[in-house]
Amino acid sequence: MQGSTRRMGVMTDVHRRFLQLLMTHGVLEEWDVKRLQRHCYKVHDRNATVDKLEDFINNINSVLESLYIEIKRGVTEDDGRPIYALVNLATTSISKMATDFAENELDLFRKALELIIDSETGFASSTNILNLVDQLKGKKMRKKEAEQVLQKFVQNKWLIEKEGEFTLHGRAILEMEQYIRETYPDAVKICNICHSLLIQGQSCETCGIRMHLPCVAKYFQSNAEPRCPHCNDYWPHEIPEVFDPEKERESGISKSNKKSLRSRQH
Amino acid sequence: SPKLAPSPVHASIALFSCPRSPQPKRETPGSLSPQVKPSQGPSPSGLRAAPPAPSRRHQATDPSISLHMSPAQLVQKAHELMWYVLVKDQKKMIIWFPDMVKDVIGSYKKWCRSILRRTSLILARVFGLHLRLTSLHTMEFALVKALEPEELDRVALSNRMPMTGLLLMILSLIYVKGRGARESAVWNVLRILGLRPWKKHSTFGDVRKLITEEFVQQNYLKYQRVPYVEPPEYEFFWGSRASREITKLQIMEFLARVFKKDPQAWPSRYREALEEARALREANPAAHCPRSSVSED
Repeated sequence: MQGSTRRMGVMTDVHRRFLQLLMTHGVLEEWDVKRLQRHCYKVHDRNATVDKLEDFINNINSVLESLYIEIKRGVTEDDGRPIYALVNLATTSISKMATDFAENELDLFRKALELIIDSETGFASSTNILNLVDQLKGKKMRKKEAEQVLQKFVQNKWLIEKEGEFTLHGRAILEMEQYIRETYPDAVKICNICHSLLIQGQSCETCGIRMHLPCVAKYFQSNAEPRCPHCNDYWPHEIPEVFDPEKERESGISKSNKKSLRSRQH
Repeated sequence: SPKLAPSPVHASIALFSCPRSPQPKRETPGSLSPQVKPSQGPSPSGLRAAPPAPSRRHQATDPSISLHMSPAQLVQKAHELMWYVLVKDQKKMIIWFPDMVKDVIGSYKKWCRSILRRTSLILARVFGLHLRLTSLHTMEFALVKALEPEELDRVALSNRMPMTGLLLMILSLIYVKGRGARESAVWNVLRILGLRPWKKHSTFGDVRKLITEEFVQQNYLKYQRVPYVEPPEYEFFWGSRASREITKLQIMEFLARVFKKDPQAWPSRYREALEEARALREANPAAHCPRSSVSED
């Protein structure tokens, strides 16, 4: 939570435009957020020095705090890309989704969410999700329909699909972490390093602690003999690379063409 | 206490048949009301709100009112409504007053005016957005940018790769045709999206300027006069940057998504797209892959 002194920031048109545009785009990667910030300065305050992004966002968040909303920064679980979204802290439900989907569709998402959280790998198979179609609230949904709804979730960046299995998109984790931790306090997994919600990750085979792939990358960076931080046993998994935004830009790989370099590690 | 600047919503909600209700007891300074500086204008003033005070029952002067609403509850409802309106706007959905009442205001309908007023104040102060009643007849609201309309907003994030539906739509049309697409054909397609050359669009602004100038300057499109045609007509081609950044397979995926068809519904184009994908995999990834001239289907 915040420090003891709540210094209220000041909103200028730079911040307002930034907020508007961030809200319009839903979720953005850090590189885009930085460009957005520079754009807002260019429009309203050409001569000012651009604040460091972290300070800029903290300033806005200090104003948003009383409204129970926040610009949250997260990291994608599979390749460690930083992402940002404006989230509602006061929510006790999956609110941003609620306007997009019908009651039975939301319930399908909830069922998929439960399976994902309960799973060992953080993935739920399409088959297992579809088998729950009879238990949905609201209008009766056929399996064929449910398949399309699952695709809608993928397109809207709530779920990711890999080889017929589904897991949560970074955006969903960012927006719903609080809701998930409150709703499934016993089933949720937590990363040993960053203590945030963990859906995909690596686990120690001896003591069972879990770590996000980007957290593993950072923790074991240039460590020839990776050992579990908890039980000191040899860490048996492949150590991923730390995400480097500079390298990304230079190679100019189009996002949709880039295959995920990580494989699941359980 | 200082007067709040009249918000557009003031006048709007006066027109609604909300039952007349007494205003909540004037909030004492230091509680939950925003401290408004006398010189109000475009200059920023922080929205200061104290942490939720113990709820105060407001003295209803009308004995028929059974439901009380404290200042804290008013503020909370205003925050809920603010979020609701923001999300609806983000999804490009209609903000409909009866929905607002059903989904957010609920049994506090009697205080909808105060809630709406507070919400629009927050939206203006923090987001620079006006909650405006666009149609009394249909009871629709819209979030209007209070800041100077800035056409560059939409390209601010798009400079690297404007994968906007608009550009993809035009590129797809050109690709499917197999040659340049006449401006008239492009407008026929855009009309389906509700875009007209003479109408300013809330997101895209001046659409004609966007596609004939901005996309061309960024090398995503080429806009050329059709030779030997009088009166002059123009056609669009893929720009060099589109050829570099966008693959034919991406176009096929876009078409499949938009028209809910299998990419095989455009068999020769799909074959071409697969060919290009294979060639890209084999060749140097930095190589420029020009759009090959294709014969019509």
